[in-house]
Amino acid sequence: MTITDLRPLSDSKLSDWAARAAERGAERREPAWAKERRARSAALAASLPFPSREDELWRRTDFRTLETEIEALDPFASVPPARGLDDLPHGLLERLAGERDALALIVQRGAQVVFEQTHPELERRGVIACSMDRALREHSDLLENRLGSSIEPDYDRWAALGAALRSGGAFVHVPDGVEATVPVRLFQWLDGAGKLAAPHTVIVVGKRAKLTVIEEQISENGETPSLHAGITEAFIGEDSKLVYGTVQDWGRNVYHYSNQRATVGRGAELQWIQTLLGGRMVKTNSYFNLAGSGSQAFVHGFMFGDQRQHFHLHTLQRHLVDHTTSDLLIKGCLKDRARSVYQGLIQVAEGAQRTDAYQANRNLLLSDHARADSIPGLEILANDVRCTHGATIGSVDEEQMYYLLARGLHRSEAQRLIVEGFFAPVLDRIPLESVREQLREAIQRKLG
Amino acid sequence: MSTTPGIDIRESYESKFGFHDKDQFVFKSRRGLDREIVEQISKMKGEPQWMTDYRLKAYEIFEKKPTPTWGGDVSQIDFQNIYYYVKPTAEETKSWEDVPADMKRTFDRLGIPEAEQKFLSGVGAQYDSEVVYHKIQEKLEKQGVIFLSCDHGLAQHEELFKQYFGTVIPSSDNKFAALNSAVWSGGSFIYVPKGVHVDVPLQAYFRINTKDMGQFERTLIIVDEGAYVHYVEGCTAPTYSSDSLHSAVVEIIVKPNARCRYTTIQNWSNNVFNLVTKRAVAYRDATMEWVDGNLGSKLTMKYPSVYMMEPGAHGEILSIAFAGKGQHQDAGGKVVHLAPNTSSKIVSKSISKDGGRAGYRGLVKVVKGAENCRSTVNCDALILDEASRSDTYPYMEIEEDKVTIGHEATVSKIGDEQLFYLTSRGINKDEAAAMIVSGFIEPIVKELPMEYAVEMNRLIQLQMEGSVG
Repeated sequence: MTITDLRPLSDSKLSDWAARAAERGAERREPAWAKERRARSAALAASLPFPSREDELWRRTDFRTLETEIEALDPFASVPPARGLDDLPHGLLERLAGERDALALIVQRGAQVVFEQTHPELERRGVIACSMDRALREHSDLLENRLGSSIEPDYDRWAALGAALRSGGAFVHVPDGVEATVPVRLFQWLDGAGKLAAPHTVIVVGKRAKLTVIEEQISENGETPSLHAGITEAFIGEDSKLVYGTVQDWGRNVYHYSNQRATVGRGAELQWIQTLLGGRMVKTNSYFNLAGSGSQAFVHGFMFGDQRQHFHLHTLQRHLVDHTTSDLLIKGCLKDRARSVYQGLIQVAEGAQRTDAYQANRNLLLSDHARADSIPGLEILANDVRCTHGATIGSVDEEQMYYLLARGLHRSEAQRLIVEGFFAPVLDRIPLESVREQLREAIQRKLG
Repeated sequence: MSTTPGIDIRESYESKFGFHDKDQFVFKSRRGLDREIVEQISKMKGEPQWMTDYRLKAYEIFEKKPTPTWGGDVSQIDFQNIYYYVKPTAEETKSWEDVPADMKRTFDRLGIPEAEQKFLSGVGAQYDSEVVYHKIQEKLEKQGVIFLSCDHGLAQHEELFKQYFGTVIPSSDNKFAALNSAVWSGGSFIYVPKGVHVDVPLQAYFRINTKDMGQFERTLIIVDEGAYVHYVEGCTAPTYSSDSLHSAVVEIIVKPNARCRYTTIQNWSNNVFNLVTKRAVAYRDATMEWVDGNLGSKLTMKYPSVYMMEPGAHGEILSIAFAGKGQHQDAGGKVVHLAPNTSSKIVSKSISKDGGRAGYRGLVKVVKGAENCRSTVNCDALILDEASRSDTYPYMEIEEDKVTIGHEATVSKIGDEQLFYLTSRGINKDEAAAMIVSGFIEPIVKELPMEYAVEMNRLIQLQMEGSVG
């Protein structure tokens, strides 16, 4: 056995996985360019080391436990396609509340999409909403220049591994001038433990178009780790609007590593809502590229950690051209021994005059064993700008608590109200009432 | 913008500080660094064995530590091209008359003896590696205040020195602290006895004269219970074409109920790498204040820090950074709350101009159990033209829930409305811009001793000439 075989994820295991991933790609009739990209990512995953504590983005989050167990994971766990909604896991159906038939819906279970349902209204307007596997077969021309274009292939080993083992994901495409009146809902579900899923989702909104997408990630608790290493890319054309909301509520065995990239064109608007509740260790990198003059990004996120959960949320507001706006608010609430890291950066490129950027991070600590790190940074290379950021960390305001107690509320009830109020500015941004309601329930469950 | 020709600050620096004396020294180590040179420095100084050993161990650490890859670009420093020790004169003196004529002229031109007479309790002047002049008011000496060069501190008060030296900043702290620990020379040693208030500031002035010189002064300040001291340092160097290195270590111990204020006006020439480690520990109900003005140097990486060790301690850091052409000011501060009921405040103002890069890099840390801590950080940056850059990297690590921590930062240009208001009152644009900048840094300048505040404002005005077109 050579030294290289001793490091986590041996070369032989990796090449075995890469070969099987290529086989599956062939079975699903992926176009040649997609196969090539898979192979290139596999080569990069083999040559890159796992990120070390020396990397600024990995100094505060330690995936080493996962590294040692990764070979035991199954990246190809396959479930037969669902014949109808009733074949889907019960926990998932609950989420659909009464809206099950009136939805554009794409459901992924483990490593593949098992259910696709379009909506007649969307179909009529030429909106595509399907699995990535189908899209690669049927809409290769729409994907070739986009899939993987907004993330560096060698970003890090986890991302390269995800791209090499790409499994599932969705494709949503709205043609120019079309308003998608029905929201598209994406679900990710992991059965049991020991799974590795690496979906790649691409969302394209044409010019003067509108779209709302809601993605939910759920699973039951498992004993051993699972890894969800997804990539989402969104491209918003001129004068268009995308509302994209995610609800992450994994079981406590799931490592969640996600890379999200949005590129906002001239005069376009992005509403981005990210909520993190579940998982064991969660690390997300969300980059917002304000690439067209007059583009705007509104980013709202929250994380609520309990027990020993660890959340690491990294955002990058990239102002690449003049007259762009970004407004970001990330809220974190922690109880027990949970830990959060918010690492944000506003970058204003040379010549990106008249940038207006805002970044706020608010943290509420409910236990003296919780820990919150906040690193809101600015890198400004233009002078005619307005960039502001703020961060606060504190506990429940005693005056607010006193006010509620004085009105006869129980302490736990008062705390629930305060926490709900704390999250309200983010919750209010979630486009569907049923999803908002589920999030409120999840928050209540967490508060116990 | 910035196209109108005006007074070039470098030109005025040239005439005021940029001159240099003919090289004169009684000893100069050969270029570069190895064990032999470290031993030689220690031997020249006639140090006790423990200090020689300490230096050698620090040298080993320096060799092993990687060069930092964050902050500024320090990869250009050629450690083997530097003179690590240049002894300018035979002996340190208390009498101005005994300072060699050339050096006296230098410090006269910089206004040192004049300042001493006017408003200082004591003065130290360091020329290259050694302190050449040191004087303290007799009254303070009688009260037991010690103000010596760090070398004399070691020689004359070895027990006291040994008790504190290296306890706040161990040689393993970072690569440049290790380097300083290996080759340190000069700097100040200050001890203020219990209850003694030193009403007027003590001052040190640092001057690099020799080309390719590295200056590694070391300062150790102990403020005993209930005492107070204000220490002020200033620095300049000639403008050479090749780079110099200034890498100081400053350790401060503020005992219960004591207060220490440390003011720096850093105005090194544009060829100096200024990589400094400054840290203070503050005990029960003690206050430590850093006032840190960075105007000069090619690259400054300096983050004065306060470790609050016991309840009631308070730390304050006021930082101004002004980056002009070719300059990178990576300034900031660190506050570490290690005990309950401690408080801290950081105010940072940075200005970048003519392609300069100014920034704030800071840390607020609260450990578990440090309840009821309060900390606020305020960073404001002004960018005066489109070629310049501003960075803000605040780190907050909070392990305790009963705390109030806040950070705020803004980056902007000079407000058009403010400019319009002033110009409509007949003030020309240059002056108006200078006024706005002066107003911007005013919260910090007002904390400086009057003479320094005046000097700071004058420097800012010079820097601002012809900046707004």
